[in-house]
Amino acid sequence: MSDLNYDCRNIKIKSETASVLVQKAIAAIGKNEIKKGNLIWLELTGCSGNIISLLNGADPDFRNLATQMVNFVYDNSLMAAEGELAMDKLFGAIGSDFILAAEGAVSTKSDGLFNIIGRWRGRPVTALDAVKKLGEKAAHVIAVGTCASSGGISAARPNPSGCAPVQSLLNRKVIKLPGCPCHPDWFLGTLAYTLLFGEPALDGAGRPLMFYSTLIHDICPRRPFFNQGVFASQLGEETCMFKLGCRGPVTRVDCPIRKWNNHVNWPIGANTPCIGCAMFGFPDKMEPFISYDIAR
Amino acid sequence: MNEREIIINLIKNNISEMQETIDSLYISCNSCTKNMLLNRLRRSVANLSMLVQGFESGQHSAAFNGTENPQQNPAGAFTLAELSKYNGRDGNPAYVAVNGTVYDVTDNAAWGAATHFGLTAGRDLTGEFASCHAGQPVLNRLKVVGKMADERLEL
Ligand code: HEM
Ligand code: SF4
Repeated sequence: MSDLNYDCRNIKIKSETASVLVQKAIAAIGKNEIKKGNLIWLELTGCSGNIISLLNGADPDFRNLATQMVNFVYDNSLMAAEGELAMDKLFGAIGSDFILAAEGAVSTKSDGLFNIIGRWRGRPVTALDAVKKLGEKAAHVIAVGTCASSGGISAARPNPSGCAPVQSLLNRKVIKLPGCPCHPDWFLGTLAYTLLFGEPALDGAGRPLMFYSTLIHDICPRRPFFNQGVFASQLGEETCMFKLGCRGPVTRVDCPIRKWNNHVNWPIGANTPCIGCAMFGFPDKMEPFISYDIAR
Repeated sequence: MNEREIIINLIKNNISEMQETIDSLYISCNSCTKNMLLNRLRRSVANLSMLVQGFESGQHSAAFNGTENPQQNPAGAFTLAELSKYNGRDGNPAYVAVNGTVYDVTDNAAWGAATHFGLTAGRDLTGEFASCHAGQPVLNRLKVVGKMADERLEL
């Protein structure tokens, strides 16, 4: 059933966007038409799930990124350097031409002291300091994941550390890639496009249209069930999960085509409703994630 | 004319208006005009679905005609307390009120499990609507099921 739209050419092309863009960028770098970018990846107030998700990318994958597309200047989970040496690399990048990818929200309470991402020259560096210092200087800022894009889980009620989205702290445009986590394709495709042609076309909320233009509900393989009013009354039924509280109808992103974990499956394909993780307002405004007292 | 004939007449008018709109859509190449015409189509569809409901018996149309509880509920108006029963739970329909009109969101995809961006059905959401959807053509896609009673008059 999940292969319902498999023969649609339009959908096939969409599923290849990221890989085509990454191949183009790598080819252009090989021919010296464009320069390899410098990439700084900040893990701010969040779970670091986006960098883990990125490592899980397949065609394009992380190796394409780190060896052929960019000089990966800084990411605290992946780099060999640590302590002051690592922080030297981070702040040493200021003045060079770099792209900033930030995951996690920014904790703002008590001058950001709730989230210290390292020490430099003997002083603690907060997520707030880092995002402000680097965000103003970067060629492009990409907010990776829902927390960075709109606050997400880090900013969920009661938000004790005053978490805020990256955009709210910077006086410039931030490209937003919401999703909990962000799909590796969304990030790699956006980065490749940015290296090749500059900022991609964005919607009113700052999301690249090439990945975030369709509602999940509009391309969901279970849509025929919705149209016929055939609704699941409990988890496990392979029909439309609207009555259980599916958020596919308010979530704009392309999961039904792209799928996850090496393009294998996705929540609705695994019989759980969409919880709107790539939508502004997640998680508070997407609750309840599941509801059993609606259907007759 | 009896009520049935009136409704059939209205439906016919609606259909011919829709046909005209579709014809105009074919010849207009300006996207602004197209949007306007599409909006008109949506309005006609909403009207049609309301009229179809006029034929349907049962709970909803009884409330609409005001026959369910004539004393408390003249002209099919809902009090806040009545509205709260239509919260979408346990098989009840899901209604929300905006600007004095009561809409049915039971089958609206954006209202999964009768909830929508932290809002629940069975309530007057005029303020929330204004802060989220002002100027968007959202309401004309919804079925109208009645009006809100002016509860100040009943005091
Ligand atoms: C907290 C306030 C609200 C927020 C943040 C909100 C947000 C949204 C968003 C983002 C969408 C569209 C998703 C998309 O297509 O990209 C939507 C659709 C919709 N909303 Fe709301 N909404 C709010 C309040 C309401 C209220 C009070 C109503 C009452 C009737 C309502 C009725 C609808 C309907 C019917 C749709 C579907 C529209 C369509 O068919 O395109 N919303 N809402
Ligand atoms: S409500 Fe959810 S499960 Fe049903 S068609 Fe829409 S996206 Fe798919």
